[in-house]
Amino acid sequence: MEPNGPAPEHEEHDEDIHLPPPSLWPVGFAVGVVVVLVGLIINPTLISPIGGAIAIIFGVLWARDATAELRGQPIHVEPERREMVEAGAGETAPPADQQGAALPPPEPGETFPRSRFLEGTTLGLGALIGGVITVPVAGFAVLPSFLRQRGHKVDLGPVAGFPQGQWYIATFTVDPSEGAVSRRTAFIRNNGPTTNNEPSFTIISNRCAHLGCPVQANGPTGAILGQKTVHEHTANGPVTLEPVVPAGFGCPCHGGQYDTEGNRTAGPPVRALDRYGFEVDHGRLVLLSTYSVSHVIGTGGQAKIYKYKEAGPGQHVDGPEQWFYPLQPPHH
Amino acid sequence: MAVVPQPQHEKPSRVEEARAGFARYKADVKKRGKPFYPYAMFHDTVMSLIVVTVILGLAAIWKWTSYGPHHDGTHQGLLGPEYTAPADPGTTSFVPRPDWYFYFLFYLLRIFKWPESVFLGTVGVPTIALILLLLLPFMDTRLERRPSHRPVAMVAMALTIVSMAVLTWKGATANEALASEVIANVPNWVKQEKLPPQALPGAKLFATAGCTACHTYLGTGSSNLGAPDLTAIGTRNLGITFQVNHLKCPSCVNPGSPMPKFASLGDTRLHQLAVFLEASKGPQH
Amino acid sequence: MPYSRKPTRAEIRRERLQEAINFPLDWLEERSGLVGGIRYFLFRKVPADTNWMQTLGSAALTAFLVQAITGVILAMYYKPDPKDAYSSIQNITDHLTMGWMVRGMHKWGASVFIILMFLHMGRVFLFGAYKYPRELNWIIGVLILVMGMMEGFTGYLLPWDQTAYWASVVGINLNGTAPFLGPWLAQFLRSGQEIGADTLSRFYSLHMLLIPGGIISLIGLHLYLVIRLGVTSPPWSREAAGMVPADEEPVPLRPGLTRPVPRTIAAAQGDAGGSE
Repeated sequence: MEPNGPAPEHEEHDEDIHLPPPSLWPVGFAVGVVVVLVGLIINPTLISPIGGAIAIIFGVLWARDATAELRGQPIHVEPERREMVEAGAGETAPPADQQGAALPPPEPGETFPRSRFLEGTTLGLGALIGGVITVPVAGFAVLPSFLRQRGHKVDLGPVAGFPQGQWYIATFTVDPSEGAVSRRTAFIRNNGPTTNNEPSFTIISNRCAHLGCPVQANGPTGAILGQKTVHEHTANGPVTLEPVVPAGFGCPCHGGQYDTEGNRTAGPPVRALDRYGFEVDHGRLVLLSTYSVSHVIGTGGQAKIYKYKEAGPGQHVDGPEQWFYPLQPPHH
Repeated sequence: MAVVPQPQHEKPSRVEEARAGFARYKADVKKRGKPFYPYAMFHDTVMSLIVVTVILGLAAIWKWTSYGPHHDGTHQGLLGPEYTAPADPGTTSFVPRPDWYFYFLFYLLRIFKWPESVFLGTVGVPTIALILLLLLPFMDTRLERRPSHRPVAMVAMALTIVSMAVLTWKGATANEALASEVIANVPNWVKQEKLPPQALPGAKLFATAGCTACHTYLGTGSSNLGAPDLTAIGTRNLGITFQVNHLKCPSCVNPGSPMPKFASLGDTRLHQLAVFLEASKGPQH
Repeated sequence: MPYSRKPTRAEIRRERLQEAINFPLDWLEERSGLVGGIRYFLFRKVPADTNWMQTLGSAALTAFLVQAITGVILAMYYKPDPKDAYSSIQNITDHLTMGWMVRGMHKWGASVFIILMFLHMGRVFLFGAYKYPRELNWIIGVLILVMGMMEGFTGYLLPWDQTAYWASVVGINLNGTAPFLGPWLAQFLRSGQEIGADTLSRFYSLHMLLIPGGIISLIGLHLYLVIRLGVTSPPWSREAAGMVPADEEPVPLRPGLTRPVPRTIAAAQGDAGGSE
């Protein structure tokens, strides 16, 4: 008993009135229920049983608490602190001694006023109902944005379609089931085999590292060059490859400028352009997830790329400013 | 006034003064106020009628100058198109802009054009402004309400209005270039500037090579990074050699220039661009 | 009611009509007290010197009501899915009877609402009406303004055209640059790592339900405080309520005039022989 109350004072209240102390057990019970519900979302086999155990333990303690008096156990008195408040301090409600009692006085033989019990139970149950409603609803509103985010592979067609050294503006659909919403554009150059005789591609996302506007190639494209735009149809749906001779990349929104490796050269972008990972699968170029890049030293296959976990536009990944963005949400 | 409860001490505290003032207000309104209906409500109703009329009028002008005469909702009427092209997340030729009441924020982003200061423009300045706005009643606790006796507040208000107006205006008039619009403008350039035929390849290159992301030309293009307007660059007679060298490495010719190097376009194309720039003498009549 | 003479049939008819009108009102009043409440709202006293600038608040409320009504109707035809959103907007604007008018009112009403909120705020600032005891109402007003701007942000995406899509991309990324929680806020707004179908329906729900609910509650509080605390007089007014210098009591209402006249003017008129 008495898990949290202060030492009882008997001097002024030592009458036959016994008050049940405010108990923390209902709160523990509510926490247990909350853990069960959160567990259902995150890990039903591990977290839910833990929550269930918490709820049962606290539920039993609560029940013991509430029935202690019936079982004839002595009950410590919690001082009625509210009576210490000077009359007239709260002007909205009349003092308890005027206009009749808010609750009936204890019946003769009643050992503690029902008011305290009803108050505690009402608030406790209300909090429980609030929790039972709020937790799943808030969880459903927030958690799906962060959990089970899937990465996608994008088939861009045969590697042979990318002559060495030639830049292409590739537009493709990342997730065919989502349709046009997942269309993306990347600038792709085949760097030729590396010294280890592995394929090397520079694949730069056209999402500006400032605020995500569409970055454009600074250079003449297909029609001006007199070269044909390639239209392919792969497992991911239509893919277009437009040849381009970029002197760099630029963003028309706020003037960010990048060189052909995606390094920022001017304007507000906080880092280099993001890149796509890639693999060559059965002779086909397949794009993997994107990652963020602080800067790139060198060019093409020899470039040293300073890779970071994918971060949103405008977020620093290096330098002292990175401490503003210590934790990135899950991303694939 | 008889109704004013005068405190007994010589100098009432600010709280007492405030309470006495409000009590005086209540008494005054009770004594010589007028009923809300119909006096004040008449004004409210007239004003609401104006508001609804303006809204309907804007809707009508919007409709009848965009879709109305052209049967094309993407047509730029007096108040803008009904809608632009369908959303294309894969676009490489679109320049976004927000609704007009976010123009101040939109232009703020152009002011903070250094990577270290990006978050000042995006969240820093607006958050500070919002906090100041919320805390205003606690910063200005004087009871004086007459504008002539509140010089600091009036200056702050004027500065706020002017800066919001300037930012909104600059945002509204900031030039922007859709790549497709730029290319469509090339024949117009040829006509207006009377460009010779040998300048045409350079003009097409200029329109496609991202130059208009920062430079403007005859009103087309975005103005970014302090890049100059190139409508009449040829009148400076800088010479083909200078133009080619400048394009190859702008910061070598012009130290500190934020313009990217265009060397990788190759000498032929750079020469074409230089010819176009030198031929640009401004609109010819 | 005793009559000194026998009432004519016309009088009886008029009285019956009066009773017929009063009956439902009395019925309502007896059971709810609403009639008394509305009567209190309508006939409460406001300072006699309120002016046209003080209509901006109610004008903003009118603009909000236009938004609420047109929004509900638009929701009957709009389809919050990336595959259908654009064509449903085209359909509403160009093909459905009067659709252009309702969408136009909603689109331009938004701008008018924002402008009126800013003007109203400027008026309150100019009048110093945010001072004791109206501090809380200023804060509520700022929150309404912020939520109004949030309505503008979430509503801008719904037509799903290029402007809408890319403005929202930039807007979400703006939130993403907030230190510490920014990336999480941006991902919450996008409903995932990329903008997709869920982003559109999320913005639709925020725009339709959550934020308007918040605005309506705040407007209720705002009006409650206006009624409780009263409307401020223009501070420069000679007879501003609560601001009259003790030595210069204004002349009380003259018969036939709706506003009290300061003593100086009244005296001048008196000297001129009482001419109007």
